[in-house]
Amino acid sequence: MAATRGAPLDRLMRPIHGWVWADADRRLRKLLAFAEVETDGGRDIVRAAEVTPDPLLRRLYLEHAIDELRHGDLFRARGAALLRARATRGAGRLAGNPLPGGHGLDDLRIDGEPDHRLLAFLHVAEKAAASRFTIYRELVDDDPETRAIFEHILRDEVFHMNYTYTQLTRIAPQRYRRHIWYARGKRFWNRYLRIAAAIAGIFGSAVLSAIYFLVLPPFAWLAKRAERREAPGWSARAGVAPPRSQY
Amino acid sequence: MKILGISAHYHDSAAALVVDGVPICAVQEERLSRRKHDASFPAAAIDWCLERGNLGPGDLDAVVFYERSMLKFERILTSALRTFPRSWRSFPAAIKNTLGEKVWVRGIIASYLGVPREKILFTDHHASHAAAAFLAAPTERAAILTADGVGEWATLTTGQGVRRADGGTAIALAREIRYPHSLGMLYSTFTAYLGFAVNEGEYKVMGLAAYGRPTMVDRVGKLLRRTADGAFALAPEYFEFQTTATRSYSSKFVDLFGPPRDPHDPIDLESAEGRRFADCAASVQRALEDVLVDIARALGRETGLRDLCFGGGVALNGVANARVLAESGFERVFVPPAPGDAGCALGAALYADRIYFHNPDREFPDHPFWGPPASGDELARAAREDGLPVDELLDDDTLVESVAAALAAGRIVGWMEGACEFGPRALGHRSILAAPHARETRDRLNRDIKFREEFRPFAPVVPIEAADRYFDLPPGGARLARFMSGVFPVRPEWRSRLAAVTHVDGSARVQVLEREMAPRLHALLDAYGRRTGIPVLLNTSFNVAGEPIVARALEGYSTFRRGGIDLLVAGSTVVAKRAVAPAETTKESVGWWSESVAESGGV
Repeated sequence: MAATRGAPLDRLMRPIHGWVWADADRRLRKLLAFAEVETDGGRDIVRAAEVTPDPLLRRLYLEHAIDELRHGDLFRARGAALLRARATRGAGRLAGNPLPGGHGLDDLRIDGEPDHRLLAFLHVAEKAAASRFTIYRELVDDDPETRAIFEHILRDEVFHMNYTYTQLTRIAPQRYRRHIWYARGKRFWNRYLRIAAAIAGIFGSAVLSAIYFLVLPPFAWLAKRAERREAPGWSARAGVAPPRSQY
Repeated sequence: MKILGISAHYHDSAAALVVDGVPICAVQEERLSRRKHDASFPAAAIDWCLERGNLGPGDLDAVVFYERSMLKFERILTSALRTFPRSWRSFPAAIKNTLGEKVWVRGIIASYLGVPREKILFTDHHASHAAAAFLAAPTERAAILTADGVGEWATLTTGQGVRRADGGTAIALAREIRYPHSLGMLYSTFTAYLGFAVNEGEYKVMGLAAYGRPTMVDRVGKLLRRTADGAFALAPEYFEFQTTATRSYSSKFVDLFGPPRDPHDPIDLESAEGRRFADCAASVQRALEDVLVDIARALGRETGLRDLCFGGGVALNGVANARVLAESGFERVFVPPAPGDAGCALGAALYADRIYFHNPDREFPDHPFWGPPASGDELARAAREDGLPVDELLDDDTLVESVAAALAAGRIVGWMEGACEFGPRALGHRSILAAPHARETRDRLNRDIKFREEFRPFAPVVPIEAADRYFDLPPGGARLARFMSGVFPVRPEWRSRLAAVTHVDGSARVQVLEREMAPRLHALLDAYGRRTGIPVLLNTSFNVAGEPIVARALEGYSTFRRGGIDLLVAGSTVVAKRAVAPAETTKESVGWWSESVAESGGV
């Protein structure tokens, strides 16, 4: 199967993946990030099980969700073990908001999505994940326990890829290929949107930072001066503002 | 008048509908979106409320947002200016975050509902809290205290509310403590320091506190200074919540209390490190209680009133509430079932009805059940399709007796009845119930069903008639325990027989149940009491860690299928779990070894 060799793009990216996994801190962060993504994805699939009208799909989604939630636990436990074993503790650095990434299945809203679209999306996503995990498994050869987790998860991914595909062919026998291509396109579009949003965010931050340093200083001086006049403790409340006022 | 209340954009979005002065329904967005603490604009909650009230947006007389968003923006901007230049990292994120959606709330509401902009009103954040606490409480006249992280500028307010003989209502909040001096922010800072998620893990800090000793109260006192006028002030050098969104405590804080806990490290209460964290929790808990008691006592003296209505997120702290009741001089303390921001949706709608529109006060049912119903038929259909044994159309007596027998036999029951609760507590309509006697039950629930930390306690529910026998309730305690808002001692002679619900310090966050509030659960407690001699059950929210409480029957069903719940009840339908989970056979039946994946082509 293509997935067990790793897709060409992932094989091409292998040096970058290798750089990520070679460092203990980055490995740890990656595992903890996976834990969150798998858990969120599991919750999304639980939701799919709750809203589907198809009894067989409900059972399969639940089985899938249980797997994903278990994967989250495996990653979390391994991440925690590596964290404990780490020579230099950096809890402070991880204590704020350490986990990057969006929510579960690409922020997919399950409610209102027809099953064929969800199955196609899951199939494509699982296949991509399996491809990447295959590379990761090879890159953590020095860490048998982490490798064992990837082995375990890859076995589950085969089930996930297969059931999503067979069920898609069952409920959309005439159009399943089109649905899969649509899911691939959507995935590509979402990736583009994420990158575009990130770039826009960087630009926005740069402009706001410039405003902060160029425009704000005199106002900051005034604000600090006003603050010095305020005594801590009780203040009398201002009168009630008019109902339509946002101030 | 038909008034829709909305709270959104920070945490726990919600919508509530008030018609002719009476709440018709209220629901948090998370219960419908299935994303815990969902803060997004509550479109699903609004739609459900309108559907429930059989109304279209055009039928609404007003839509009320629970705070003044531009005033909040002013606070964010001013705070950035005051902390210049240390706020340079947080400034872009804060501005993008606020200007992206939050300040345009009037336009968002108008475009979503298609209502004229002049129908969209605003209340003060703490006025919404105050209204949720006072207007839902059965009292004529009460002092009001609200406390949370921060609203627009206020973090704590005091005042009073009056229901006049002519039907008019007045809420006057006279004083406030302003940001950044905030009890909620103090507690949240310790929540983050102890490795829990802010706005979610505060109750874990409260649970952990019972394992520790308040040995660091003096150190907390350096952070939380008392002012001469009886208020308090935070020492800014120990906090960073004004200057960065990623960490709320400063290096000086770490110097004072030691290294923070990593969120992924389990808490080992046998270790010195684990005990240090427990002592930290106990110390901040004690400091919070002391300040609240002092403020409440002063408020009682000033107003001379017997009743206190307490709202805001800090009012979720049951240990502090119990101390306020015991030590402040108030005879009764009313905490609504949803004292946090979600409850502000209802508070804002009631405030507009009584205060803006001067409508006469109306009595309404004193219960928390304003959410979507659970359908037994829906559950029966799903269970049958999955080949599970289903008992349907049971009469109440038969159902109650069979569930009581199952509970007495040590089985764990998912219990869904009628409308779901509004607020964070499961109060008998979306509960997981179990026998309260053995510590093993608690451990099994934490390990196999709730998937949460082992140090966390479970709550009991007891009929009001029997409450005093098992729990040491002070005068007014039963009222505070109505919505599980107080933590009280379990009587020592019962602690060994109520081990699953007795916390390490001998306390319990008990729910005292009156028959009228949840008649069938009351009957179940009676039936269980007849079988075991103790009419007390363990009552925990029907969800697993990281998920919202279930609302519909199918959500309960999926939780039942994934965890160790033995029996599931919705309406008059009972479903039992088979010894072999059908999901196992599903994997086999679809042939997971199939090679068909190759057919779908490359990635």
